[in-house]
Amino acid sequence: MFPWVYEFHWSFGHLIFLGLFFSVLVTVVVTVIQAMQKTRKATLLNNVEKIRWHEDFEDLPLEARICRHELTGEVKHRTCDNGFDCRTCRMHPQLQLKRKAEFLQNGDANVFGFFMPNDRMYHRGHTYVKQESERTFTIGMDDFGQRLIGNAENIELPEIGTRLKVNETACTIKKLGATLRILSPIDGEVIDRFYENGDWKIIVRSDNSSLATNHLLRDAEIRPWIMREMERLQIAFATNKVGATLADGGELVPDFHKHFPKADWDGILGHMFLEA
Amino acid sequence: MDKKLIPRGLQRTSFGNFLLWLFPWVALLSVGLYAIYLCLAEGLNHTNMDNRFAFGLWIYLDLTIIALGAGAFFTGFLLYILRRHELKSVINSAVVLGLICYSGAVGILMVDVGQPLRAWFTFWHPNVHSMLTEVTFCLTCYLIVLLIEYVPIVLKNRKLRQIPKFLVFEFQLHKLMPVFAGIGTFLSFFHQGSLGGLFGVLRGRPFAFREAFGIWPSTFFLFVLSAAAAGLSFVMLTTWLVQKITKKQLVKPEVFKFLGKISGIMLSVYILLKAIDTLVWINATSLSAGFPAFEFYARKSFGTWILFTEIVVLGMIPALLLTSRRMRERPKILLLAGLMACGGIMLNRFVMTIQTLALPTLPFDAFLSYSPSWEEIAAFLFVVAYGVILYSLTYRYSVIFPQERELQSPVPVQYETQPFSERVAEKFFSALTFFKAK
Amino acid sequence: METTVEKKSRYGMVINLDRCNGCGACAVACAVENNVPPALTAMNSRTGLTWLNLIPVSNNENYPDNETVYIPMFCQQCENDTPCVKVCPQNAIEFDEATGIVSQIPQRCLGCRYCMAACPYHARYFNWWDPEWTDGMKQQLNPAVSPRMRGVVEKCNFCHGRLHAAREKAAANGSSEIDMNDYVPACVEACPEKAIVFGDLNDPDSEVSKLSRDTNTFQFLTRLDTKPKVYFYSQKNWVHTMAERAMTRTGKEELYG
Repeated sequence: MFPWVYEFHWSFGHLIFLGLFFSVLVTVVVTVIQAMQKTRKATLLNNVEKIRWHEDFEDLPLEARICRHELTGEVKHRTCDNGFDCRTCRMHPQLQLKRKAEFLQNGDANVFGFFMPNDRMYHRGHTYVKQESERTFTIGMDDFGQRLIGNAENIELPEIGTRLKVNETACTIKKLGATLRILSPIDGEVIDRFYENGDWKIIVRSDNSSLATNHLLRDAEIRPWIMREMERLQIAFATNKVGATLADGGELVPDFHKHFPKADWDGILGHMFLEA
Repeated sequence: MDKKLIPRGLQRTSFGNFLLWLFPWVALLSVGLYAIYLCLAEGLNHTNMDNRFAFGLWIYLDLTIIALGAGAFFTGFLLYILRRHELKSVINSAVVLGLICYSGAVGILMVDVGQPLRAWFTFWHPNVHSMLTEVTFCLTCYLIVLLIEYVPIVLKNRKLRQIPKFLVFEFQLHKLMPVFAGIGTFLSFFHQGSLGGLFGVLRGRPFAFREAFGIWPSTFFLFVLSAAAAGLSFVMLTTWLVQKITKKQLVKPEVFKFLGKISGIMLSVYILLKAIDTLVWINATSLSAGFPAFEFYARKSFGTWILFTEIVVLGMIPALLLTSRRMRERPKILLLAGLMACGGIMLNRFVMTIQTLALPTLPFDAFLSYSPSWEEIAAFLFVVAYGVILYSLTYRYSVIFPQERELQSPVPVQYETQPFSERVAEKFFSALTFFKAK
Repeated sequence: METTVEKKSRYGMVINLDRCNGCGACAVACAVENNVPPALTAMNSRTGLTWLNLIPVSNNENYPDNETVYIPMFCQQCENDTPCVKVCPQNAIEFDEATGIVSQIPQRCLGCRYCMAACPYHARYFNWWDPEWTDGMKQQLNPAVSPRMRGVVEKCNFCHGRLHAAREKAAANGSSEIDMNDYVPACVEACPEKAIVFGDLNDPDSEVSKLSRDTNTFQFLTRLDTKPKVYFYSQKNWVHTMAERAMTRTGKEELYG
C-alpha cells in the first residue's frame, strides 16, 4: 500500500494500480468535502430558502410548471425551468415584446367565481401583491388560496424588519395537520403586518426598481391561470379517490374541506401551494 | 402513525399493513442472521463447500447479484455522462438496487472468507497481479460511492429535509452526482471485468481459462458487457415488480422500452463476442491445454444443452426480442425478454463458478457435485430479505420514483396537446360546479 | 523472507509408482511432521486436511489383468507462472527463487480460497474446522512448525521446517550450503519402499535429476505449462496413457455413451 509497507515494489504494475486507487479515493473524498463546504457556505449566506424553493420547484410535476405564456396561449408549449422567476428569464422579455397592447385591457374581477381583481398582481403560490405607493406593497392571499385554506389554525407572520425574497417563505400556515409555507411574491423588507379573522396582510417596502414585479401574473393571465389551478385541484382530488364527489356539486364556502374530510389535505394543499 | 415521514401527497399503505408486509422478511432475516452467526462462530464447516468445491452458492450469487446490480453504474453513466434524461425516473431505483446488491455481496463475502478480520490485509499488502485484488479495491471504493449516491435519496425524506443543513447538503451532493457517476463507471468497469477475469485467468482450470488481451482475459470484457445488459434489464424487471406490488404506475412506459432497448443492444454485442469467444476456446485455448472441449460436456448433468441454453435460448433470443422495436411495444414480451436476459447472465455466472469447479482436471479425479447447506441458503436469503426491507423503507419514506406524483392521477393528463380555448375552459368549469361565486 | 543460501536450488521429487504399495506411511509422516491435526468424525475425504493425498488408480481391467497404482498427490511446486501465487490477493503465497519452493504463509491468509480454485492439482486444503489434538498428541507436536488456525489454507511445502533445520546446521558449521542428507522431507524418509527420491533438480548429478530425465518419468497436466517439480515414474504403459489422457477416468461417473 505504501512504500514503507512490506510487499511494496517499485514496479510499473504496482505504481499504476495504487496510483489509480489513490486517485479515486482522493477524488471521492475531495468531492464530498466540497459538497460539505458548499453546504456550510450556503447556510452562512442564508441561501437555504433559495435552495428549498429550487428543490421544491424541481419536484413539481411538469403540468404545474407551465410557463405563463403557455397559459395565455402565446406559445404552444413551454415549461418553466427558472423557478417562475421571469425577472431572470431569457425568453420572457422577448415574449413580452410580442404582446399586443389590448392584452392588458382584459380584466374582469370575477374569474370563474373567484374574486381576482386586476388592480393587483398574482404569484403562482396564490399570493397577491398590491402596489400602495411607489415602493410600498401589500402582500396577501388571493381568493383561490383563501377559500382553499379557509380559517387557518395558526399563522406565523414574519417579524417587522424581516427581509423577504421572491419564492422564499413569507409566512407559515398550519391547517388540518399540514404546515404550509406561503411563498413571498416579491423582494422587500417587512414594515407592517396585520392579522384578523383568518385574513392576513404583510406590508413590504420594496428595495428595487421596475423589475420588482415583472414575474407576477396580471390582467389577462389571471383567467387561464385560475382555470389551470382548478384543473390541478380537481386532479389532486381525483388522486385522493374522492373525485366522484367533486362533480356532485357543493359549495366552495370558506372552509370547503369540511365536505371532503377524508381527503389527504396535507397532500392537496402542498400540491396547490407548490411545496414538496 | 408515521404520516409525518411519508412524502407529501404520495399514497402509501397504512403503517399496520406495512408492518405486515415487513414481517415475513424480518423473519427470513433472523433465520439468515442465525446461519451467518453459525458460520462466523463455528466455522465454514456449516457449509457444504469443500477443498475441491472451494467456492459455492455464495460466490455464485455474489457474481450474479453484482451483475444484476450493475444497473446502478450503467444507468448513472447513461444519465449523467451521456445525458439520457429519460432515465431520471429510474436512477434512484437503480442506485438503491445497486447499493443492496453490492452491500449484500460484500456482506456475504465477509462470511465466505475464513478470516474476515484479515480483510484489510488485501489493502495493506496487496498482490496487484491478482484479479481478486482488483475486485476487492474496486468493490470497496464503489460501495462507498454507492453509499454517497444513496445519501441524497435518504435526505429527500420529508422530515429530514426540514433540517436546513440536510436540505442544502442533498442539493450540493446532487449537483456533484456526475462526478460520482463517472467514478462509479470507472470502478464498475474494472470490478465487473475483474470478476470475469477471476475465472478467465485460471490456467489450472482449462474450462474457465481464456485467451488474454493485455493483462485481461476475454472474460473480463464479456463480464462488463453482460453486466451492463443484465443491470438494465434488472432495473426494468424490478420497477415492473414494484409497480405490481404497489398497484401503481411509477414510471412512464417509454422508460421500460428505453431500458429494454439499451439492454438489448448491450446483450447483442455481448452474445456476439461470447459466441466468438466460445469458438476460439473450443478450437484453440482449451485444446492447447490438452482438454478437448467436448470432454467438459460429456456428463449428463452438464451436457452441451447448458452451452446452448446460455448462448442461444437465453442469449440470442432475448437479444433479438429486445432490439426489435415491434417486440418492445408489447409489454409482456419486453418483460419476458428482460427476464431471459437476466437468466442467461445468471446461467453464465453459474457456469463460470460451479461448473468450473465441478469439472476435474487430473485424469483420475472424479466429477464432483455439490449442493448448498441450509446455512448457505439461509445466508443468501438474508441478503434477499435485507434488500426487500431496505427497498421498502426507502420507497415508503423517500421518493424513489420522481414521476410517481405526476403519474398517480387517475385521469390521463395531456396538457401539451390541449389548446386553451374557451371551449375547453367551459368543459372544466362545468365539471367543477362546486365553485360558485360568493 | 530472504534466504541465506546464495546458490540457487530447485528442489524436486520423483515418485516411483511401481514401488509404492499404498501403505500410507508417507501421509502419516507428513501429518505428524507438519502438525496437521487428525481428522474429526465430521470430516470426509473432501473436507479433511491431507497435504499428501494417496489416491488409488486402477486400470479398470478385469481379474487377472487388474492393476492398481497409488498416486501420492500433493503440491507439485509449479515453477512457471505458479497459478496459486498469481491469484492470491494479499501475497500469502510465496515462490522462493532460491529453492523453487511454493510456500503458504498462513498468517497472511484471508481464507478466500481463490488459490484452491486456481490449483490444477487440487493440492490445497482449507481449515473448515478448528484444529484439535488429543492431549497425548499435543505432547508430540512438532515445535519447528506452527499449527494453522481455522479459516486459512495450507499445503505441502517440502517440509520447510526441515529445510530451516538443515540451514541452521550448515550455518553452525560455517557453511553456506546445506548438506542434502540433512534435508529429507518426512514422506521421503518414511517410505518403506524408498519410492520417493528427493533432491536438487539443478544439480545434474543428483539422483532426482537423473531420474527426472528418465523416459519412464512423467508429470501430470504438463500441457498447462506450469512446470511442476514433482515427477512420477512408472514402467507400466497404462499409467502413462492414463496420465496423458485427461479423459480416462475411474469409471465411477455417469458418462454419455
